[in-house]
Amino acid sequence: MNAALTLRERSEAEASRLPPLLARAEQLAGTVLLGDHGRRRAGLGDDFWQYRPAQIGDSRRMIDHRRSARGDQQFVREREWQIAQSVMLWVDQGASMRFASDKNLSTKADRARLLGLATAILLVRGGERVGLTGTTLPPRRGNAQVIRLAEAWSEDAESDYAPPEHRAMIPHARAVFISDFLGPLDEVELALTKAADRGVRGLVLQVLDPGEETFPYRGRTIFESVGGSVRHETLKAGDLRERYLERLAKRKDALTRLCRATGWQLGLHHTDDSAQAALLWLYRALDGGTG
Amino acid sequence: MTVLAGIGFTAPWVLMGLLTLPILWLILRAVPPAPIRRLFPAVTLLLGLRDDESVSDRTPWWLLLLRMLAAAAIIIGLAGPVLNPSRDQAGSGPLLLVLDASWAGATRWSTTLDQINVQLTEAGRAGRTVAILRLTEPEAPVFQAAEAWRGRLPGLTPTPWQPTRAQVDMALAAMGQVDGGFDTHWFSDRLTYEGHEAILSALRARGDVTVYQAPSPAVAILPATYQDGVIQLSAQRAEPGPADRITILAQGRDPAGAMRVLQSAEMEFASGETQAQVELSLPSELRARITRFEIQGERSAGAVTLTDDSLRRREVALIAGLLNREGLELLSPLHYLTQVLTPTADFVDGGLLEVLPANPDVIVLADVAKLAGSEQAALVEWVEQGGLLLRFAGPRMAASDLGRDTEDTLLPVRLRSGGRSVGGAMSWGEAKGLAPFPENSPFYGLKVPEDVTVTTQVMAQPDPNLADRVIASLSDGTPLVTRKALGLGQVVLFHVTADAEWSSLPLSGLFVEMLDRLAVSSAAKSRQESQLQGTTWEPIQVMDGFGVLSDAGNLPGVNGVELVTGQIGPDLRPGLYESGKKKLARNVLTDETVLSPAVWSSDVPIKGQEVSTETPIGGILLSLALLLLTIDVIASLALSGRLGLARAAAVALGAILLVPEVQAQTPESTDFALSATQELVLAHVLTGDQQVDEIAAAGMRGLAQTLFFRTSVEPAEPIGVDLERDELAFFPLLYWPISPDQPQPSAEAYAKLNAYLRSGGMILFDTRDADVARFGAASPNGRKLQQIAAPLNIPSLEPVPRDHVLTRAFYLLQDFPGRYAGTEVWVEAAPMDAEQIEGMPFRNLNDNVTPVVIGGNDWGAAWAIDRNGQALLPVGRGYAGERQRELANRFGVNLVMHVLTGNYKSDQVHVPALLDRLGQ
Repeated sequence: MNAALTLRERSEAEASRLPPLLARAEQLAGTVLLGDHGRRRAGLGDDFWQYRPAQIGDSRRMIDHRRSARGDQQFVREREWQIAQSVMLWVDQGASMRFASDKNLSTKADRARLLGLATAILLVRGGERVGLTGTTLPPRRGNAQVIRLAEAWSEDAESDYAPPEHRAMIPHARAVFISDFLGPLDEVELALTKAADRGVRGLVLQVLDPGEETFPYRGRTIFESVGGSVRHETLKAGDLRERYLERLAKRKDALTRLCRATGWQLGLHHTDDSAQAALLWLYRALDGGTG
Repeated sequence: MTVLAGIGFTAPWVLMGLLTLPILWLILRAVPPAPIRRLFPAVTLLLGLRDDESVSDRTPWWLLLLRMLAAAAIIIGLAGPVLNPSRDQAGSGPLLLVLDASWAGATRWSTTLDQINVQLTEAGRAGRTVAILRLTEPEAPVFQAAEAWRGRLPGLTPTPWQPTRAQVDMALAAMGQVDGGFDTHWFSDRLTYEGHEAILSALRARGDVTVYQAPSPAVAILPATYQDGVIQLSAQRAEPGPADRITILAQGRDPAGAMRVLQSAEMEFASGETQAQVELSLPSELRARITRFEIQGERSAGAVTLTDDSLRRREVALIAGLLNREGLELLSPLHYLTQVLTPTADFVDGGLLEVLPANPDVIVLADVAKLAGSEQAALVEWVEQGGLLLRFAGPRMAASDLGRDTEDTLLPVRLRSGGRSVGGAMSWGEAKGLAPFPENSPFYGLKVPEDVTVTTQVMAQPDPNLADRVIASLSDGTPLVTRKALGLGQVVLFHVTADAEWSSLPLSGLFVEMLDRLAVSSAAKSRQESQLQGTTWEPIQVMDGFGVLSDAGNLPGVNGVELVTGQIGPDLRPGLYESGKKKLARNVLTDETVLSPAVWSSDVPIKGQEVSTETPIGGILLSLALLLLTIDVIASLALSGRLGLARAAAVALGAILLVPEVQAQTPESTDFALSATQELVLAHVLTGDQQVDEIAAAGMRGLAQTLFFRTSVEPAEPIGVDLERDELAFFPLLYWPISPDQPQPSAEAYAKLNAYLRSGGMILFDTRDADVARFGAASPNGRKLQQIAAPLNIPSLEPVPRDHVLTRAFYLLQDFPGRYAGTEVWVEAAPMDAEQIEGMPFRNLNDNVTPVVIGGNDWGAAWAIDRNGQALLPVGRGYAGERQRELANRFGVNLVMHVLTGNYKSDQVHVPALLDRLGQ
């Protein structure tokens, strides 16, 4: 719980530097779940908006009898048209994220959670509904949800490379995927295409360690994944560098292509860069949908 | 031992291990460095990547070379390499090492010991038994294993004498007791002595004799003589050789009392000569300070000659009663004295009061009857400090009433009026001769010439102590010379005049000798046998073979003639001897000594004493190997990328290898001095017991605050003083609470404490136990106090008397409670002669601040306040307790006032005011 608290605290600090994020409703009726996002006019919603005299064409069922009984005129109770965006977050909890090549750097998991939660806070402050992909934490609003998110992200997953959660996607909602995307690409592809099928659009943020970008290793080395499930031994690590970087570039390419195909936006963030920059990118991408 | 290329190996077969080095090279070359495990999430991207070549990074050649070197160093080191291996020498059977062990070999004694050590090593290797015989201290030779002797080598020291005939006989007898034959190695000092040949032939009868000689002959210095205003020094060498130059150092105490070289002189041996001389002209003041001459660079008793009174000229002040007969030199009462003393003494001219500050050795008063009061007092003081007052009688003394009824302080006896005259024209008797000197007289042993007669003298009153004071008398038993001790000095009275009017004594040689014996003149001639007849000399300091003086201990006294003429040996050691006030030095060489070189027959092999010490270098090689391996560890770590580890290892290695930097203490001590002196600071001694120290600090703070509020003393924050580290001189008062388990201060700390007490500091000792044991050993704190205070320079103590200045330094107090009340407080005792002043309740007490105040009332606890100014610990109960605390504070104020103002309040000026306040 302490870890969750500090995570939240730092996320608040990050979020306080940006104006509240108001998610732009792209698709209005039918596509967005009704929420308490008042549009200052009568429409579909839960909250009272105004009484108006019943007019011809109003069905009798719509007459508000409590109000009408005070006088002779019949009134219809109108509700405010409310709309809220649902944003689903997925932050990779896999063991591969718990890595930092230098002790002065934060781990990828730490940075990813920070960004995820900061985004969540901005969204909540803007009145949006935030949740996790999958069934564990459906989108809700309010600060309590932020706490629940922080709690959910304070638990580490056992497996080395966690596949993106793509179940129970709310159609036409928005989604944010934060991971290093070093695991099997098929899973990512599956998740993104499935999301695209449901009209979900969103952001993909790849968080990488500088060590993974530069590969500064030499000599006889056994490389092990953080969870220990995968290992590779080499006699001359220095010789592998070129080929490794080539493969990394390919992986990024594949990810870019995938995003382009599904209409998602792709961002790259390194743990030695400022988190603010990444959050700014997330904010713009979510707010404008164009970034 | 196998010798390869000048290096011996004790275990040469281990060297075969070197053959494995090429194999080791191949193996090490083939084995790749151990892999590093790295966490790397992107390992998925690496999967399937193949290495270009199957061979990993090879160990670099320099690392291999390093390892090879380390391995080689280990192998060679284990083979037991020895530098300068000594070749085995032929010989078997028992080996006798004969040592002259006289002063002549002392300078090169360490070389001799090294050589003996080598001999022992060789003998041990060859399984020979060894005995060592020192001719200067012969003992029956005991043959035993060579190793057994090695531990006793440092105990072998040269003696300051050559083997005497008696010792040679003892050595011959001791050798006679040994059965069977033995070989002999003789370590000779290159000097011959009586019986040298006998020993050589006795040894050759038993086996082979090899002689080891010192590389250079001994050089010795003869006793210094003083003639015609110059010191004559001469040196001798045993064998004539090429021209050589030696330096003589004259050593003595400088005015500060430290031994130093006062003068040095070069002396040159001409080619082929064995003697060298030099003359040294020194001012008498400097000359008197010289205690020894020595040859620079030589470290033997023969290269040292001690000086005694013979170089010293006494300072004599001659004062006659009246010198108004201008021009009649021969009639001056001082004429004969001047003649006698001129060659050996320096005169101090002037009146009595002028010469006294010059502190002459002797003051002669010739026929002086009356001395002014101040002169008398000054003269008495001078005699009591050790001066010799020599008085001669005369007409004026005989006519005066001096010492008539009571004994005069400056006369040994009472005198009858008028004196007597014998043998004159108007008298009946014959002129009297001298009686032989009694045994207890300093003149004992001097021959009495027949022609000395006395015609007139002053007569001593027959007092009970007269017999003890007579040191020379006439043939009829009347005293001629009397003497008494006065303080450290003495007063001697010749009952005749200093000129020839009353007796022929001043005309005779006896007069000179008598003055000599009285140490009036110097001991220049005291080495004559006649002068030494019947005297016994007590050794004060004796020399060892190296020429180092040490305390004589309880060596027996030596007959005077024997001292000068006897042969130096175990019974007569060179050194400084004393008889009465005279000192005589006996040196190794006398004026007659001639050093003669040892002569060996041509068939005795003679070897030098060059020693090539064996140096085992195995340890060095193994250390080198260890160092190389350490470098290898760091290099390997660096190569395999574990740089962090390597850096840590380098730091650790640096910490091991580097000598820790010496901390510069100056700024720290300066800070301490600044903080302690910028304002008045009260201090307490840190006892190491944290609770006690905290309370003491709080107590000092409380006292400081009390002082601040009530008096013009405004102390700063108190300081805890570490006796071992901190300078004490800055603090007027040290509060020292005693806890039973505090450590005893070191000797340096005690020196500091004593200096502190001497220079006016005060220590308040507090046993904090209400003094239940009355400073007995029954209380642990009392016991600790006794232990701590024992080495301190503490005067005699007494409980604070009622008129002590502590009782009225600021407040009027009669008792000094702290947290406990009513026990006695001890301060320095008042002097015995402190007198109560008429009409005053106070005595004139000691002029100083008492250096210690000792009590057990736990004052620190009573004064203690916390940071808020609240009392830290309760005192007593209720109002009475608060009153007690108030009195404790007042005591503290009085104490600080006493420390800061001294006996100011003892000043009688303030007595009326004090009396008025006291209501008396």
